[in-house]
Amino acid sequence: MARWCFGGPALAAALALVLATGQAVACARPQGWTGGARIVGELWTAWWRSKPAAIPVGAHFSIRFHLCGPPVGRVGVRGWMPDHRHGMNYRPAVTLNGLSGTAEGLMFHMPGRWQLILDVRGAAGREKLTAETVLE
Amino acid sequence: MSAPALEFTAEEERRILRHGPWPPASRPDPSNRVSGKPAAIAFGRALFFDPRLSFSGAVSCATCHPPDRAWTDGLPRSRGPPSLFNLRFNRWFGWDGAQDTLWAQNLRPLLDGREMGVGPSGAARLVRSDRQLSCSYRRAFGVAPGADDAWIFVDLGKALAAFLETQVTGRTPFDDFRDALARNDAAGQARYPAAAVRGLRLFLGRGNCAFCHFGPTFTNGEFADAGVPHFIKPGRVDPGRHGGIRKLRRSPYTLLGRFNDDAQRSTAAKTRYVRLRQSNFGEFRVPGLRNVALTAPYMHAGSLETLADVARHYSTIDEERLHAGGERILRRLDLSAREQVDLVAFLKTLTEKTPLHEYVEKTGNALCR
Ligand code: HEC
Ligand code: HEC
Repeated sequence: MARWCFGGPALAAALALVLATGQAVACARPQGWTGGARIVGELWTAWWRSKPAAIPVGAHFSIRFHLCGPPVGRVGVRGWMPDHRHGMNYRPAVTLNGLSGTAEGLMFHMPGRWQLILDVRGAAGREKLTAETVLE
Repeated sequence: MSAPALEFTAEEERRILRHGPWPPASRPDPSNRVSGKPAAIAFGRALFFDPRLSFSGAVSCATCHPPDRAWTDGLPRSRGPPSLFNLRFNRWFGWDGAQDTLWAQNLRPLLDGREMGVGPSGAARLVRSDRQLSCSYRRAFGVAPGADDAWIFVDLGKALAAFLETQVTGRTPFDDFRDALARNDAAGQARYPAAAVRGLRLFLGRGNCAFCHFGPTFTNGEFADAGVPHFIKPGRVDPGRHGGIRKLRRSPYTLLGRFNDDAQRSTAAKTRYVRLRQSNFGEFRVPGLRNVALTAPYMHAGSLETLADVARHYSTIDEERLHAGGERILRRLDLSAREQVDLVAFLKTLTEKTPLHEYVEKTGNALCR
């Protein structure tokens, strides 16, 4: 079972900025999706969902994502355990098609607090979109 | 301390339950076309005890992995032979995970001149020329041994794997306790010793043990630095997982190579995506803890004699050394003497109630013609 929450101080600051400048990107759930979660950033907003839907401990999973915002050049996907200061033992392969993409080969190899991080880059800049979960 | 032994918070209860049920569901290995086949299991058992698979003619797998000693000879070396329990649940094989399948792991001693060293052509010649072995090969694989030495050699690894996959440990006092908890059976829970309950709490709580020793097998199947020295001799260190990944990438015997029987490569994600990092240096595979009371000495080089030594190790671990790598899971626990005794009492309940019961006969299979 996973409990998701988004943000933390950095994202709260980004959100405040977005609200102040009115730049938040409206971003509807992608066509045909049920479920999934949203990460709101300053330049981009991401919808993403995992397969399987509940991220397992110690088994490979993949994600699909869709971004709203300016054109994207590259997306990196990684996992991070902030309490232990380590990432994943596997390097996922990302396939990007316009603003949509998939990442295969992720694995969260222990229970505890994990961050799923999308590193998004484009001509408009670069941004780290972070979602957080506690795996049991 | 003050809480009665058998009252668990909802979170503690969830954490206990995820270490079962035992045994977990499993299926044949798709990369091995004879996985689960009785004729291959019988062939693998015979091969395991056959010293002709060594260059010297004197060493068999059982020399270093004697079944009546929980499959390990108990001798300390720079790397000791792990016991061979519950291998079918492994993701990686060897202390450094240099192999991604059980069949590839079984080829390693046959290739290594310091162990058995018969090699692909020596093994293939033996199987083709010996009536018993070629008959058993035909039964297991459905065809007579062919002309390709490399394939016959790999098939021996696969028959050995079919045999070793059958070695799943039995039920333990911990499993009875865990299942009693799952069905809310207070009497069943009460049979579990109080010291083991206290040790279990340490294991799941302050000890942080279950981050790595996770799930029904008590391992997350990955690698970590548990603060165990990894000198081979003065001035030479064992690179651990770092060397393992580099070996894996050079090996022809992996899930990405031509010997995988699964055209879909459905189990190859780990091999495709595994990532080499500097922090892999000095990491070793997290061992499963089932039957741990039977498998002394402990750690990759057998450097700790008893479970009490292991409890003391985690209690007095050198944090400075560990944190250099960046990971912050293990802490110096400073357990009291009584807490160390409790932790050991818990670890002992991970051992089968009737150990050694399933151990194999050391004979080959019935005569094959
Ligand atoms: C000379 C002693 C020796 C012999 C002979 C030997 N092994 Fe081993 N075995 C070891 C050692 C040492 C290791 C650990 C090696 C490492 O991790 O680098 C090991 C590891 C293993 C593992 C990995 C277990 C795990 O948990 O990953 C398997 C499986 C195995 N051996 C099977 C066999 C088979 C099958 C044979 C016969 C073909 C065999 N061994 C012969 C010493 C031996
Ligand atoms: C960071 C991951 C991690 C944590 C946390 C951890 N271990 Fe380990 N454990 C390992 C690794 C890795 C090894 C093997 C180390 C080696 O051989 O160098 C190991 C080895 C062991 C062994 C020896 C098993 C054998 O067959 O040799 C025991 C017993 C053990 N751990 C118990 C515990 C207990 C009890 C705790 C909590 C106090 C704990 N571990 C915490 C990773 C961990």
